[in-house]
Amino acid sequence: MNMGSFEVRHLSKSFRAGAPALRDLSFRYEGAGAVGYLGPNGAGKTTTLKLLVGLLRPSSGHAFLNGVDPMVDRKRALWDVGALIETPEPYPTLNVHEALDHVGRARGLSRDDVDGEVDRCHELLDLPPLGHRIGWLSKGQRQRVAIAAALMGDPSVLLLDEPTSGLDPAERVVVRRLLYRLKRDHLVFMSTHQMVDVTEVCDDLIFLHRGRVLVRDRLDRVAGRIHSRQVDVEFARPVPTEGLAEVRALATQVTAVSERRLRISFDGHDETRVRLLELCRNLGPVIQFASTSLALEEAYVELIAQTSEAS
Amino acid sequence: MSGAPTSTPPRGGRTRPSRHWVSDFQHWEIATIHQLEHYLRTNRFYGLLGFVVVISGLSLGFQVDAGVAAVRVEQLYRTSEYLSNFLAYTPLWIILAAAFFGGDALSIDFSSGTGYYTLVLPIRRPVLLAGRYAAAALVTLAIAGVYYAFALAGAIYFFSASSVPWAHVATSFGVAALFALAALSVAFCVSAFLHSPAAGVLVTVLALYVGFTVLQSVLELAGLEPWFSLPYAGGAMATVLDTDFIHQQNVPLGADQYYIVWVATVTEGVLIMAGYVAAFLPLSAYLYQRKESTG
Repeated sequence: MNMGSFEVRHLSKSFRAGAPALRDLSFRYEGAGAVGYLGPNGAGKTTTLKLLVGLLRPSSGHAFLNGVDPMVDRKRALWDVGALIETPEPYPTLNVHEALDHVGRARGLSRDDVDGEVDRCHELLDLPPLGHRIGWLSKGQRQRVAIAAALMGDPSVLLLDEPTSGLDPAERVVVRRLLYRLKRDHLVFMSTHQMVDVTEVCDDLIFLHRGRVLVRDRLDRVAGRIHSRQVDVEFARPVPTEGLAEVRALATQVTAVSERRLRISFDGHDETRVRLLELCRNLGPVIQFASTSLALEEAYVELIAQTSEAS
Repeated sequence: MSGAPTSTPPRGGRTRPSRHWVSDFQHWEIATIHQLEHYLRTNRFYGLLGFVVVISGLSLGFQVDAGVAAVRVEQLYRTSEYLSNFLAYTPLWIILAAAFFGGDALSIDFSSGTGYYTLVLPIRRPVLLAGRYAAAALVTLAIAGVYYAFALAGAIYFFSASSVPWAHVATSFGVAALFALAALSVAFCVSAFLHSPAAGVLVTVLALYVGFTVLQSVLELAGLEPWFSLPYAGGAMATVLDTDFIHQQNVPLGADQYYIVWVATVTEGVLIMAGYVAAFLPLSAYLYQRKESTG
């Protein structure tokens, strides 16, 4: 199988003079894995993806998919790439099978293989009935069809712009698990606002802010840069509220999530964390004492705040 | 990843589906069929088809009600004259169909999510355009074909099947096909230029029908031949069947005053239509190729 790759090289894009949406962006990934692309609204995430697939023309620099610049040869560049950008809408008059058939045949699948791929996607994504017209589908169903379209023909590179947008919680879990499996032998580049998508799927992270790369690193290293300032504590028995005074004195906020669970916010220092653990043990048997999954989100907010202050 | 992703193990034991390189011609076929499947299920197709059937049916019905003798007198006893008169309105139907099917054929990619579905596929944009153009031409000709069928039904009813000049009818339909391609070239160009699908349809109708018709009338009053007008060229569809065809006719207005009515010759009409295709189709492809998805 071919190794997938994508690359941007000194890529810049301006929609109007003096207001660059992207500034001199450069990165390259190759092989298999998942890269999360994070940033606030307007940071340039979707613009980058559009430049990669040739929906936009760069003001300067180049984008490459599997080594081919889509501005030079769009067909070859997109040949082994599945892309989900913004909100793709097949013609509402077509049914699900016809919409996917069009994509599969455009990617060089035979009729039999198209049917096989549609069945595979149906199984992976719990697609709506194949005979249903696109115009009849809910937003979440359309999103799943759009994801299926990106997967048709099993391209080695997947460019996904907020793939879990519009999905209900159960559907998000399905898509996240799918992406987790896919990244073992595909190269996934995923922009998202859902931190949980990133923490569960991605290996690498790129933080984008105002068209520039703020951070590009391994996921664990990025989250580790910022000490988590929140822990979830689960006790074996209901927590006696009268014994919480010492914890409250040390914490910035203590929230009772349930009778047996507390969420404690604190200054983030390891010494405080150790002391909090001791105090919790004094309250009763502790089943779990863990940083919340918001660690990355905190890192994200902190990075954006630091950049804003600096500028 | 290098960034870093590493090895490429087999895909969970699953065999990757085999894919063969798709030529531009095969992509054109795929795009044409895809677009046809869409057009043939749209309300606008059935709406326009129904409109043509109702208007043509009413015309024919009134003629039948008037009787064979009356129609024969009106139509100078000749089948070809009858057909020529009936088919003189074909350009209107074709312009409407071209606007409906071509006016938003390209702009839809930049005004809705359609482009995010199709433009990320490994199909060259000019090939995609060619597929949509072919599909739009086929449905436009289907609409025109229905109108021709009514005209032929009338000719056979009022005259006879043996009197129908089939070769001329076929030639006329060929000219209609070229007219459809010319009108669609303009519609596609408008569509490639504008962002709004509705505006594309409206501008195409306004430009091709209202604009040119008004301009043509004004020029005729000034004694000038409207050689650049597509609706004027469309007259060639009827001219093919008109045995008493006159290219330039002086119509008296009163004492020593007259204005000139021009009717396109077949050659002239075909050249004008071909000119429109040659000018507007490549321009559409250029604009479409350059257009960005900024929405």
